[in-house]
Amino acid sequence: MDKLIIGRYIPGSSIIHRLDPRSKLLAMFAFVFIIFLANDAIGYGILTIFTFLGVGLSRIKLSYFLKGLRPMLGLILFTVIFQMLFTTGGEVLFQIWFLKITSYSLQNAFFIFMRFVLIIFMSTLLTLTTPPLTLADGIETGLAPLKKIKVPVHEIGLMLSISLRFIPTLMDDTTMIMNAQKSRGMDFGEGNLVQKVKSVIPILIPLFVSSFRRADDLAIAMESRGYQGGEGRSKYRILKWQRSDTLLLLSLVIVTAILVAWNMMK
Amino acid sequence: MAISFDKVNYTYQPNTPFESRALFDIDLDVADGSFTALVGHTGSGKSTLLQHLNALLLPTSGTVTVGETVIKPDSKAKAIKPVRQKVGVVFQFPETQLFDETVLKDVAFGPQNFGVSKEDAQTIAREKLNLVGISDELFERSPFELSGGQMRRVAIAGILAMNPSVLVLDEPTAGLDPKARIDMMRLFETIHASGVTTILVTHLMDDVADYADTMYVLEKGRIVKSGKPQDLFQDVDFMTAHQLGVPKATRFALLLRARGQYFEHLPITRSALVEMITEAANHG
Repeated sequence: MDKLIIGRYIPGSSIIHRLDPRSKLLAMFAFVFIIFLANDAIGYGILTIFTFLGVGLSRIKLSYFLKGLRPMLGLILFTVIFQMLFTTGGEVLFQIWFLKITSYSLQNAFFIFMRFVLIIFMSTLLTLTTPPLTLADGIETGLAPLKKIKVPVHEIGLMLSISLRFIPTLMDDTTMIMNAQKSRGMDFGEGNLVQKVKSVIPILIPLFVSSFRRADDLAIAMESRGYQGGEGRSKYRILKWQRSDTLLLLSLVIVTAILVAWNMMK
Repeated sequence: MAISFDKVNYTYQPNTPFESRALFDIDLDVADGSFTALVGHTGSGKSTLLQHLNALLLPTSGTVTVGETVIKPDSKAKAIKPVRQKVGVVFQFPETQLFDETVLKDVAFGPQNFGVSKEDAQTIAREKLNLVGISDELFERSPFELSGGQMRRVAIAGILAMNPSVLVLDEPTAGLDPKARIDMMRLFETIHASGVTTILVTHLMDDVADYADTMYVLEKGRIVKSGKPQDLFQDVDFMTAHQLGVPKATRFALLLRARGQYFEHLPITRSALVEMITEAANHG
């Protein structure tokens, strides 16, 4: 349970930590689109430099980002191998039966790989440097314009912050229940598939029971304190847009401009 | 069965920014057949230490010896499994671990994991359920239909069903009403009397005084004091300074002492207090 790095916040005071969650979210979102502008080594080179600039500025060890990559490794490898085997065109380098590896397919596979790595690094950068609740606040204010078309933005924000708030609690519950069942001689991850699935039941049922109880308690606690969401509710954490946030968005615009210019020059 | 800790250290999430050291050079001896109390504050390392007793956690350095088995930082899962059967751990609020369709099946879950046949496991389950005071008509009910107190008894029967030689209790009476609390402690006393080594984690000094024969005081991951309860509770200043306090009987005796009553040493249980007062009255 402790090894999960995705969605984990590492406290710090770097410039990246101090950015407004809205600008970070927006930048992250834009980056996913910008990455499709790169289609050669130079393009990916520029984006890699940009990403590592962010990683460097966050003052978080590179090993954390690599750990964030690990759970996605299977998916990345699958896609890369798929690309390698089924892209056609270019000079054939290697062939077994109908499977060919060509210069194109190698190049394509490498680009896909880079695309994954950069996006994962960027999203890891976002979650490592932004406390989950601030992130939820950022999403809520970011979605605010949608209120006009009757999207329940406040409720979405509340659901988001409650779920984020309860992740550590649920993890603690899971560890506690697992410890209790291990103490009763339960083995995890052993035996065949049926046994493995069966071993989940003694964890899942108590976990469900305790989650429902917690949800109930929370609802009662909120109601007894007169909670009412939405209109007219003031905020404890107030987000502040700073010059560095404008700079971040500006740097993204510049990167985009460079990529577009480079693509047109070719 | 005896348990001993030799220079046990434990660090959570080593080599990360979340690294935190929970245990420092713990030396601890639980004699066979003893009733040992482990006291300390929240965050004193009690629960970390407790998880070393049945190898849920392996020490970062040092060794834990449970009976014949030596648990080392690099012990393998296979080697430590028998320890889980020999050392039964009743966690705080054990009723949260219930999961099966019926009370009987839930209690039989433990022994079946250690290779006991279904029939034999259910026979043991019946016996242990009766021992903790759950009557036969509840055996086929769902554990979730029971009252909180009954659920806790069922959960405890689930641990007893493994026939452990050591029983570890983590604040077993938390959240119970006074009568249920006394009944529960009497139950543990009976089990202890049948030869089961008992380790009680608690912050109720009265329970320590009434039941334990050895106690360890844990603070910030270190053992700061150990010995017999009647000796440790003599040092009222130490116990108060560590915000653990002393048993009610001791407090009563202190008040009497302040009013001029002479005590050669402070009583820790109610019966000892009564005895001392009557003796003083007879001689005075």
